[in-house]
Parts: sequence; structure tokens; C-alpha cells
Amino acid sequence: MQSSELPLSIEKRSDHICGRFSAMASPCEILVDSGDSELAKELTQVAYLECKRIENKYSRYQHNNLMFEINQSNNQAVTIDAETAKLLTFADTCYQISDGLFDITSGVLRKVWKFDGSDRIPTHPQITALLPFIGWQQVSFTANSITLPTGFELDFGGIGKEYAVDCVAKACQQLAPNVSVLVNFGGDIQVTQARKNHPYWQVGIEDPSNLSKGLAMVNIATGGLATSGDANRYLLKDGLRYGHVLNPKTGYPIQQAPRSVTVAAPQCIQSGLLATLALLQGKDAELFLQQQDCKHWCFW
Amino acid sequence: MQLKQTKNVSATLAAASCALLGTSVQAEDNSEEWKFDTAILYYGETDRVQLVEGVFNANKDFGDEHYFNGKLVIDTLTGASASGAVAQSGVQTFTRPSGNETYTVEAGETPLDDTFHDTRVQASGQWTQPIGENYRISGGLQASKEYDYLSIVGNGSLDMDLNQRNTTLSAGISYAFDSIDPVGGRPVDLSSMVVDNGQFDSSEAYQQAFDATRLQGSEQKDTVDLLLGVTQVINRRMLMQFNYSLSMSDGYHNDPYKVLSVVDQQGLTQDVVYESRPTERTKHSMYWQTKYALDQGVVDFSYRFATDDWDIDSHTIDSRFRYNLSETSYIQPHIRYYQQNEAEFYNPFLSQGTALPEHASADYRLGKMTAITLGLKYGMQLENGNELAFRLEYYQQTPDNAGFEQPGTLADEDLYPSLKAVIAQVSYSF
Amino acid sequence: MKRKTIVIITIMAVMQLAGCANLGVQPWERDLLAKDEMALDSEGVDIGLDDHIYFSKEATSGGRSFAGGGCGCN
Repeated sequence: MQSSELPLSIEKRSDHICGRFSAMASPCEILVDSGDSELAKELTQVAYLECKRIENKYSRYQHNNLMFEINQSNNQAVTIDAETAKLLTFADTCYQISDGLFDITSGVLRKVWKFDGSDRIPTHPQITALLPFIGWQQVSFTANSITLPTGFELDFGGIGKEYAVDCVAKACQQLAPNVSVLVNFGGDIQVTQARKNHPYWQVGIEDPSNLSKGLAMVNIATGGLATSGDANRYLLKDGLRYGHVLNPKTGYPIQQAPRSVTVAAPQCIQSGLLATLALLQGKDAELFLQQQDCKHWCFW
Repeated sequence: MQLKQTKNVSATLAAASCALLGTSVQAEDNSEEWKFDTAILYYGETDRVQLVEGVFNANKDFGDEHYFNGKLVIDTLTGASASGAVAQSGVQTFTRPSGNETYTVEAGETPLDDTFHDTRVQASGQWTQPIGENYRISGGLQASKEYDYLSIVGNGSLDMDLNQRNTTLSAGISYAFDSIDPVGGRPVDLSSMVVDNGQFDSSEAYQQAFDATRLQGSEQKDTVDLLLGVTQVINRRMLMQFNYSLSMSDGYHNDPYKVLSVVDQQGLTQDVVYESRPTERTKHSMYWQTKYALDQGVVDFSYRFATDDWDIDSHTIDSRFRYNLSETSYIQPHIRYYQQNEAEFYNPFLSQGTALPEHASADYRLGKMTAITLGLKYGMQLENGNELAFRLEYYQQTPDNAGFEQPGTLADEDLYPSLKAVIAQVSYSF
Repeated sequence: MKRKTIVIITIMAVMQLAGCANLGVQPWERDLLAKDEMALDSEGVDIGLDDHIYFSKEATSGGRSFAGGGCGCN
């Protein structure tokens, strides 16, 4: 595979090499703790291909993929592969441990909630009209198939990018077992192993309350880091801020939640879920994270 | 709406993630192993002091920016050091600090006190940790003991990060308690050295005369240091530090082994008296350091200006240039320039017939001088990741006459001999 | 007089630097600054040994860090 065929850029920096591309609506970075440009190029190519594979398979914006097929199935069983079954099992676990707050069928609410910074709050009837189409417990799946009730939609938005980061990190680890690689897809990060000549990678995480200069520095030696919440996705009406994390049971945004939560955990997807589950706790987000005994940063 | 069994969420999620990704469960641990730096240094002056010093430095990262540093230093000093007395055209006889015997110095030779030997042990510990998001505190203790000297130091400091950690403000305070109990007691300030030239009827008579110039028991010195600093990141390659420090000491400042010659108009020594320094000293210093990252290395430059109420001003320029030869090795030339003027009470000798000043010292270290250090370090990373480094430096100190006229035969003597030393060091970090 | 001028100039330089908001880097630009050899105390052991030598051979000490006490060599 020639890199000229792929939309990648490779930049040699003083003590590492950075490979870049754009995917999953995010800037993606592969930092390689080595001076070997060939290796870095190879790793970035592998990362790009793996990332695109996952995006093409599960994006709900594409119309010729598995996700589209499932979402248009009209209560008919759809055959799924082992990877999809594992993702569904994971989503099921998240649903269980969050007492139904984390629900990958809640994406339909986005038909009425457009978090564009405006004051266009949907009406109560608009919201309640969608509630019958939400509820993971009504979805049945096995290792080989899934059946989705009519009008339901699956959305891997809450886990897809983090999952891709972990898959890419795993692929990089296999290709370069002795080199530290940092995979960063728009702030969701996984480091394959500790660096050779530096104690850690240093990355900035966005502080949504202070976008112009608000970046908190995080040192990450190995493991994952993910952020949930987004400063730019909210509605503001009558002085009330509606964050973009929705409660699938009520159809309304979670109240008093932090604007964003960043969590460090061994795997990026763990970090991502802990961050999302924390946001779903609203004002108790910080308490929840403390109980989980994980490194975290909350921005209110 | 609380999560069910909140405390199990993390563990369940970890297991689910592992099932999803096909990885094994691993514990998160961001603390690091102990890191040790060791070094042995040899410092040798031609015909004078020899010093061998060993350092064992241990650092531990307890995670979340909690750090411990422990350090043990042992050094052994031998050889001779200039006593402060001037060279003469004839042989001179001096009494050793203990009072137990005399020694002679040949004509034209700089008088040295050659009984100089001591072993010092120093141990220290320092703890640093964050307080909230933008503050760090640090505290430490240090104790140093040698035969006639004990020093105990405590320090504390607070750092505040601003502007995304691009600016750090620091404030620190340190208190040192020093206690000295010199061999043979402390000489009375400006008292004459009693030399047994056969003029005493008995050894008891000599001892009585000697004891009359001595005070028994230990003396103390208290030192309080205040330090204010700003560290600023300038750009991606450069950072700077500015420090202002104030040091105030109160107590015994004399070097009990240093003397001054009292000479007549022909330049001949008539008497030798023990030095006398003020009991207080206030020092100010301004320190500026900058580091610049090159593609192939680092430039480190610092300048210090210090001034004190003994009227000593000094300028120090210190520069290191690290050049990376490869990914795992580097060379580092080092140059240091130091210049000081003499203390207000510095006198290379006293003149007979004029009243004794309140304070006087002929200690060359309080005189006017320039000093140059040239060095080269070579460091390499071994295959096991540990670092080995060698350093070789040359230090030359050139005292200057600060305008003191040398009467009579003293004009022929070199009162300001330069001092040349070699510094060799091997370091190993693991 | 000369001494005062130097002190004042240095203080002004420090204040100007501290007051200048344009200085500094974004967190992701710290790759070079994060290197071990860019730490202000990267030569810690060497500097400690040097400080001891110069403390016992010259009239001035400290500046970089605390100056007080330590040994009877001066």
C-alpha cells in the first residue's frame, strides 16, 4: 500500500513522529516514539485502514453498511458477525450497570434534539412521541443475529470512537511491539506502552468552560484516556443550559451534569464509558468517579 | 437516579472491555520504581586540598506528582590550605590549631595549614506534592556532620502554576542551624598566635599562654534564606528562571583556622593574629537561568549577581552545552566564569603600628579574585537503559591585589598565589 | 549606584516577562520542554557537587536555590 493513495501526513518532530489523518469526524493522530519514519508511516497506514474499516461498518450516516441494514430491518432478524456481537454484549453490560441510563437505542432522540447552540428546545409532545422507540430491553440479540423492533435505531456513537482507538492501538502494538504509540482520535486516547526516553506522553484536554486557552495538561505513560461531553453541543433557553447527554427514560437532557468529564483507565473504551456514566449521574458525576477510584478531570 | 452497585461498575466495565478487545486485565499503576543517581567525584588542587566525594541520590515517583528525594553524601578532605599568613624571606614557625605542636614554613613559601583533613556525612530528604490543581508544596530536612561541625537545615516552598503551567511562581524559606566546635577551642578574635620558641619556662607556662587565647565550647550560626522565583516558558524551545534570594545569617562566621600576619615597615612579620569576622551577614542574589532546546541538544546559560553587607559583590556566568552525538550519547562542554571583589574587612596582612581594625581576615576566599572552570562531560545510555557519564573539569582561581601595598621585602613575595584544581567525576544512574 | 541599577533592571525584566501573556506554549507543544535534559535541575547531582566545591572556595553561594549552611568548609 502506497501512502500516496491514502490521505495521510507524516511529520517528524524532535523526539517522535506524528502521523495524521481525518476520520470519524475527528482529527486523528498517531504519535510514534521513534525516529524511524518508515515505521511511523506504516503504523499510520494501519491505523487509518483499521479506523476506516470500523467507521464504514458502524457509521449511521452511511447507507450501505451493517448499521443501516440493522436500523432498517423492521423487526426482522439481521445476521451479525462476531465483532458486532461483542460490541452488543458490551453495550448490554453498560445498559445493565447504568440501570438503563446508557442505552444505544436512545439515538432517535436526536431527531428532535438538535444541539446547535440555539434555543430550539423541542416540545414535550415531540419528545414523548419518541419514547416508545427507546429501550434496549426490547432488542433481542444472539451471537449470530439481532432483532430490532420497528422504529428503533442503534447508535454506536457512545462507544464507536473509543472502540476504534483501542482496535488501532492493538494493531499498532502488534506491528511495533517494542515502540510506544499514542493513538489520539479527537481526544480519545490510547498509549500502547511506556516511552523509552521520556516518562510519559503529554497531551492537552479541552476545558469546555474556557475554550480559548483552556487546556489542562495530562501526562499519560500508558493506557487510555477519554472525554465525554462537548462544550459546543448544547441548547440555551431562558438562561437554562441543556447539555447534550440525554436521559433515555425521560427524553430530556441530564440536569446539572458537568460540561465534560475526562477519565484515565487501562483501555480507552473503559475511560470513555466511565466518563459517559459519570455525566449520566448529573451533579453526582464527581462522586461517582471518586467511588470508581479512577483518575479523572471534571469541567463544570 | 443512582447507578446500581456503584462500586462494581469499574470492575464490571474492565472485564467487559477485556472481553470486547480480547486483552487481559491489567492493573493501572502510574507510580514508578525507585530511580537512583550515583556519582563519585575527585577534586584535587596541586599540592593542596584533595577531596573525594560520593553521592547516592534516590528518587521515587509515588504517582500523581508525589515525589520523594533522598540523598546521602560522604566526602573526605585531606591536604593543606593557605592559612592566611604571608610568605616571608625567612623561615616561619607556627603553632598548629590544637596547640600541641609547631610547624615551619620555608622562606618564600605560602604558609599552609597541612593538618587539614576531615570526613563529612550529609543526609537529606525532600517531599514534593501538589495541593489542588495549581499548587505544589515541598518540604525537606538535611543534616551534615563532620568532626568539628554540625549543620541542620529545614526548608519549605510553595509553587503556583499559572497560564497553563507556562508560568510558575515559587516562594521558599529555609532555616539552617550550624554549630562549630573547633579543634583546640575557638581562638579569641585577633588574639596573637602563641608560638613556643623556647621563651617559656615550662610546658605548663606555654599551655597557660595558649589557653588564654582560646575559648572552649561550641559556637552557633543561624541562617534564614528566603527565595522568590519565577519560571517562565518562553516558547516551544526556551524556558527561563529568575530567582531573588535573601540570606541572613547571625552568629559565628570566623574560620577558626585562619590567621593574619602583622608586618612592620620592612615587611617582616612581627606577629600572627587569628581572624575576626562580623557576626552578621546579609546576602542578596539575583539569578537568571535559561535553557534552550536545539534539535541536537540543549543550551543552558545562567548568570548570578550577588551582593552582601560585607561589601562582596560577585558575578557568575555558567554555561553548559549538551550536544547529542546519537540517540544514546552526548558530550557537554561546560564553562564557568566567576569574579568577586574583596570583603570590606579583607586584609592580606596587618601593619604594625596602626590600630587593629574591629574585623580582619586574610582568607583568600574573601579577597578579590576571578575563577574559571572549563569542563567536558560525556554521557551514554547503556543497553539496559541505565546511564553512565564521565566529567573532567579544570578549575583555576586567580586572586588579585585589591590595592594593598606590600612594604619592604614583602614586595618580593607572591601574596596572591593562584589555585589550580582538577575535577573528575563518574556518574551512574539506574 | 551601579548595584541598584542592575537590581532594578532585573526586577523590571522579570515583571515584564510575567506580565506578558503571549509567552508560553500550548500543552501539545511541550514535546521539547518535556525532555529530561530540559528540566532546570537536570544536572542535579553535578550541580550539588559543584555547589559544594564553590561554596568552600568562593565567597558567594546559593542563588539557584538556598544558600545557607551545610558544611564547615567556609
